[in-house]
Amino acid sequence: MIIRKIQIDNYLCYYDTNTFELSEGLNIILGENGEGKTKFFESVDWLFNGENRELDMLVSAKKLNETEIGDSFRVRVSMTVEQYGEKSIITKSFLAKKEKANECSTSSFMIEGISENSSGERSQVDGQALLDRIFPFQIRKYSMFKGEAELNIFESDSALANLINLFSEAKHYDKYSEKGAFLREKAEKAVEDSSKLDKKNEALYKKLEGDIIYLEREKAKYLVHLNSTEEEIRKIEGNLQLAESHVSNADALETLNRRIKDIEEKISYLTGRIDENYTTSLFDENWILVNFESFHKEFAEKVSAHSKTRRELQSEFDKQKGIKVGEKKAKAELLNNAIPLPNNIPSKAIMEEMLDAEICKVCNREAKKGSEAYEFMMKRLKTYLESQVTEDNEPDKDEPLFKYDYTNRLDNLSISHEDNLKNLRLIRTIIKELFEFNDDRKKDIEELNEQLEKEKTEREKILGNSSIGAEKLSDVLKNYNAWQRDLKNRNQDQVDYTSKLKSLESELKAKKEEKDKIDTSSANSFLIKTRNILRDIETIFIDTKENKFEEFIEKLQTKSNRFLEIINIDSFTGEISIYKKNRLGKTTVEVQLMQNGRPLYKPNESLETSMYISILFAISELAYETKNEYYPLIFDAPTSSFGDYKTAQFLNLIYETKNQKILVTKNFLDRDKATKKLFIKKDFESVKRDKAFWVKLEEPFNKNDLTTINTQVINL
Amino acid sequence: MKNLFEKWKTRIPKYSEVHKDIFTSLSQKFGAEGEKKINLGKHFSTNYELYTYAFFLGLYNNEFSPIPDGEKKTDFSHHIQHWGSKTTVSTRKDFTNLQENMFIALLAKTDIDLVALEKGELDEDDAVKALVKTMESYTNGGLILIKEKLEENPNYFLQPTSFLNMILEKEKV
Repeated sequence: MIIRKIQIDNYLCYYDTNTFELSEGLNIILGENGEGKTKFFESVDWLFNGENRELDMLVSAKKLNETEIGDSFRVRVSMTVEQYGEKSIITKSFLAKKEKANECSTSSFMIEGISENSSGERSQVDGQALLDRIFPFQIRKYSMFKGEAELNIFESDSALANLINLFSEAKHYDKYSEKGAFLREKAEKAVEDSSKLDKKNEALYKKLEGDIIYLEREKAKYLVHLNSTEEEIRKIEGNLQLAESHVSNADALETLNRRIKDIEEKISYLTGRIDENYTTSLFDENWILVNFESFHKEFAEKVSAHSKTRRELQSEFDKQKGIKVGEKKAKAELLNNAIPLPNNIPSKAIMEEMLDAEICKVCNREAKKGSEAYEFMMKRLKTYLESQVTEDNEPDKDEPLFKYDYTNRLDNLSISHEDNLKNLRLIRTIIKELFEFNDDRKKDIEELNEQLEKEKTEREKILGNSSIGAEKLSDVLKNYNAWQRDLKNRNQDQVDYTSKLKSLESELKAKKEEKDKIDTSSANSFLIKTRNILRDIETIFIDTKENKFEEFIEKLQTKSNRFLEIINIDSFTGEISIYKKNRLGKTTVEVQLMQNGRPLYKPNESLETSMYISILFAISELAYETKNEYYPLIFDAPTSSFGDYKTAQFLNLIYETKNQKILVTKNFLDRDKATKKLFIKKDFESVKRDKAFWVKLEEPFNKNDLTTINTQVINL
Repeated sequence: MKNLFEKWKTRIPKYSEVHKDIFTSLSQKFGAEGEKKINLGKHFSTNYELYTYAFFLGLYNNEFSPIPDGEKKTDFSHHIQHWGSKTTVSTRKDFTNLQENMFIALLAKTDIDLVALEKGELDEDDAVKALVKTMESYTNGGLILIKEKLEENPNYFLQPTSFLNMILEKEKV
């Protein structure tokens, strides 16, 4: 959309008819204070947003003065707009009737619309509807930028969120997510009702429902805590920066603050490394077994003594029974009537190893192949292997001596724990080392604490050299330290609440899963399937909506920063951060200027202005992307904090942007010292623009008499 | 059943009601970890931790004190095999090794005729009963030692090292 023409009739200082024929690109309107510059902006604002109230305050005094009592004239602001090749004229006006000297009544306020199609055919339409159609309200709001005093268009809670909703695709998902929630709730209810018919799990089900409600409530509570904590953190950080601005030696303070932060971080790291969970380690690290070795020994001895007794008894039993007498006897003789070892000792693997090496590793002597010792070992291995084969041809019909075999298991337990003894012996050393480690850390912490105290004293000194009065100084100092403490506490709270929320969420998830499990076994499976599908659908809608919203914010932020960089070329820019916040179920979008990841609470005016202008440009660019149409941007004295050089630079830069821009400024004007006449400075010649006007009061005029005031529009 | 250990693990050992206060004040019934544990002023995350601790304390100090017949016995309905179960608390380690060592000590300290057991002359259940009794007796001894410490100095256990020290103090028996 392009504004082709703005016509102002009898509106305050604009006597009779005044026309601004505007260009598509950059239009600059120059004007000294009080000569009609802001009145121009206000007349446009009145056309866009104005109300039908106190209209007599808008009447040109000069015109009223010239009018006979009883006669009337129209006060009018009209705009000719071109959109998609079609022309429209929107006019807001009212009739002023002179009642007596300097007084008038107003009537027939109207907003007219005229639509002209491409073939030049004109038709009367509803003016307000026409305006809203060609220049939607939300965009209009972000098209007008009035000076530096009224930057708060972004500060209203929901303004930016509404705008984002308007542009981002997120809005398309609104209706679905509402419908989705409705259907899902119905399905949940159906499943619950069906589950409740099953009396088996009634009590548990009720309890779970209660738990879930409780946890949801807790979660909401902690969300509130977290939000207000974050709010507080921002406030405290702002306070700190404000206090720091009173301090003359800000650089030194920053260095000190960094050092203090470093030390505090080190302390907290070291504190974290001190492990004093001694009682827990008794169990988890098995420290409780520190004195256990003797008991293990006692056990091992008992088991091996029993094993020996058992074999003795078995051997005697076997002998008595006369089973395999010869073999046993021979074996017994070989062993000098000693009790034979169990077949599996030494183990198969060890026997094979010894045979392979031709060494008896028991008596550490050579056992060459063919030697008696070698043959003995071979025979022993064979016996073991034979004992592993079940001999079904010789079933033992007799009752065995031992019905059960505990010995083997106890033996295994004894052997497997033999290896652990080594670890048990180390426990004392480990404990000693941990004590030493913890003591060392404590010493380190103590040293760091001393250092910290020193740095803090130093900081107090610097704060003491502040530029504000001595009586306020102690307050600032006191508050500063209190804020520092508060900030630390709130940061800790933030961490705590976040982790509490996380644990509540996982608890809630577990409970819900448990409840779902009961549903699965109790409720009608068709209902469950339906519910699951509806749950998924709802999740998809919600997620998509969120993503689209986030995507848009991200885009807005990137674009804004690109503009900010352009506008602030060669100087410090910082970074614009645009973030979403959920406050008590209401989504708001906030804007903050950051430097090195820290909010900048007191940016200078020109930086702040350029930040807001950047966002406006970004919004306008995004509007183009979604609506495929550029909208004009109208600025009233946006650069008054810039100075001529920066203003020229700024104008040259925005000249390159694609929107139509109407910019009102008092820069580039100067007054001749001798004649007191206003003139335009030479610098203005170098300013790139498509169109320029100079609004100035017609001379001569009486500064005490409004009826002599008339603003001339001079085309440059 | 041919494994004493497996069978012993399914038992729930008891303690004398006389010591109920110790459990209430030193351990957390429903399990607490980290900060929560400290906030509650509890030293042991669970009742069975305290039970295990008392057992070893009694064992190392040779405090074999069977629960007198007149005293009412109670338990916390938690089978030994579930002590330190991995599924309950993800941040802690399991107690399998401790359970085996408890069993080793019990077998060493309990007079069981293993020959008779293997011959089937001694009932397995009776053997397990004897093991549990030994366990209860040492634990009872340990609890008495803790009680004495508390009576001596109610603030003794405020030190993070206090429980560890009681175990360390006793040099190898």
